[in-house]
Amino acid sequence: MSNTDLDKIEVNQKPVAKRSNPFANVFDELVSFCRSRSMFMLHYCTGCGAIELPPAMTSRFDMERLGIQPMVTPRQADILLITGYVSIKTLKRVILTYEQMGAPKYVIGICSCTVNGGMYWQSYATAKKLDEYVPVDLYIAGCMPRPEAVMEGLQQLMEKIKTDEANSWKQYYANYDYYLGNQQHLFGNNWQTPTDIIGEAKTYKLEGPNTLGEHTKILESVQRPLEPLEMKL
Amino acid sequence: MAMNDILLTIIEVIMMPIVAFIIGLFMVLMMRKLAARLQRRVGPPLFQPLYDIIKLYGKQTQVSHGLIHDIGIVMAVGGYVAAEALLPVPGMNGIAAQGGIITLAYLTMVPSLGLALGVGQCANPNGSIGISRALTSMLAYDIPFIIVIFGVAYQFGSTNLVDIIATQQAGGFSTWGISEMPVLALAGLFAMHASLGKQPFEIYIAPAEIATGPMVEMGGKFLGGLFVMQSFQLYTASVLYVSLFLGGGENWITFLLKCFGVLAIPVVIAYLFPRYRTDDLVRLVWKWPVMLALIGIAFVMN
Repeated sequence: MSNTDLDKIEVNQKPVAKRSNPFANVFDELVSFCRSRSMFMLHYCTGCGAIELPPAMTSRFDMERLGIQPMVTPRQADILLITGYVSIKTLKRVILTYEQMGAPKYVIGICSCTVNGGMYWQSYATAKKLDEYVPVDLYIAGCMPRPEAVMEGLQQLMEKIKTDEANSWKQYYANYDYYLGNQQHLFGNNWQTPTDIIGEAKTYKLEGPNTLGEHTKILESVQRPLEPLEMKL
Repeated sequence: MAMNDILLTIIEVIMMPIVAFIIGLFMVLMMRKLAARLQRRVGPPLFQPLYDIIKLYGKQTQVSHGLIHDIGIVMAVGGYVAAEALLPVPGMNGIAAQGGIITLAYLTMVPSLGLALGVGQCANPNGSIGISRALTSMLAYDIPFIIVIFGVAYQFGSTNLVDIIATQQAGGFSTWGISEMPVLALAGLFAMHASLGKQPFEIYIAPAEIATGPMVEMGGKFLGGLFVMQSFQLYTASVLYVSLFLGGGENWITFLLKCFGVLAIPVVIAYLFPRYRTDDLVRLVWKWPVMLALIGIAFVMN
């Protein structure tokens, strides 16, 4: 992946424009406050950083007092924590999971492996920079970050959600071509996921100039409709 | 009936689910706080259940699996909303006098059936396993529950909750269900615990095994609906128990104390235990609470 591709990303971290109706504004602020105070994180962990999460959840640091609690399926969750190196096989699952989550959704990269590959930077089998494949809201660096650092990071995410700055999930829709291109680069041109991102972007009016492009054309040419799995005993 | 009475009844029927929802939110909070205290944690802040619900309804992309999925959630919440109008609270009787316990017992089964419909359309195997377990456990706890209701109705000579509460309040503590028929009250507590679906009867949620079962495909407003349903469920179970055995509420203070106190018993037990397998649960619930309830009925009918 050349660096020029990175320039294609529209960085849209500005808060969303306020609505003209003052009551709607109050309502929006209430909703973003509730979003920041109630974050369900997905019980999906990769790599070694996962070991720092049980202490953050249990009696020593107690995430639940900040409204953060683990949830089991991607449909229920708000935060996807990537806690360590992501092998190429894992990355497919990460992307499938991420696409199934309901927006607004946030991705946190924990450990240096998600930032730049960490100690696995030479490996042929790991994805080096997580934010080339899914948009990341926050990185918590360290190898591994202690629970204090995890809590601090989550509190920063809370602040970002409260001020409507955590909009990276919109970038995934607006720059889908870029992310899909990187995914195809790793997984081959036959790569497709069950979630129709382009359709969602159209339905929820989240399209950007880079939603469609050369890579989505490849996707359209290879895309097969989903069929139910064959029943076998 | 005078025009004023009809108007008053309509206002009560609208108010009772709203009051139930607010109390139910505090019951969810108490449940989570107790769990946290038992695990030596601080626990969630005061308005946490409300934050969760507002956030879930405020999700910007919602995944629906079809019409029946939507209707299932409406049935799940609606069954309880209808049940609240039949549960007398201090100062408000709603349509409790016209309904009675038998209607109430039917209405408390509607949510599980609605959920079964909704989950069926999600076509998720975990969801299907979860809902089949939920219906199995309903089959298990409904038998002691119905026997207990029968015993109480026999004792007070009425299936009308307003009459049952009035009889208990007129005679004081010695005529309360719990002192007149302690064995039935124990069986009722057992059945109530099983109906809440908390550990050790948590077979259909089982997050580590079947990924929260019926909730597995529910995100956004669907999960929000289930959170609302949970607060109604806690309220319905505890208020029904208080009405049958603890003399209802003379005023709001004693009423709330009794409701929260009754609910605290299964919740404290829940967070100290793991869960049973499905067949063990059915065997256990059909053996002990049913046996207790039958002995209780024998005492009542002698």
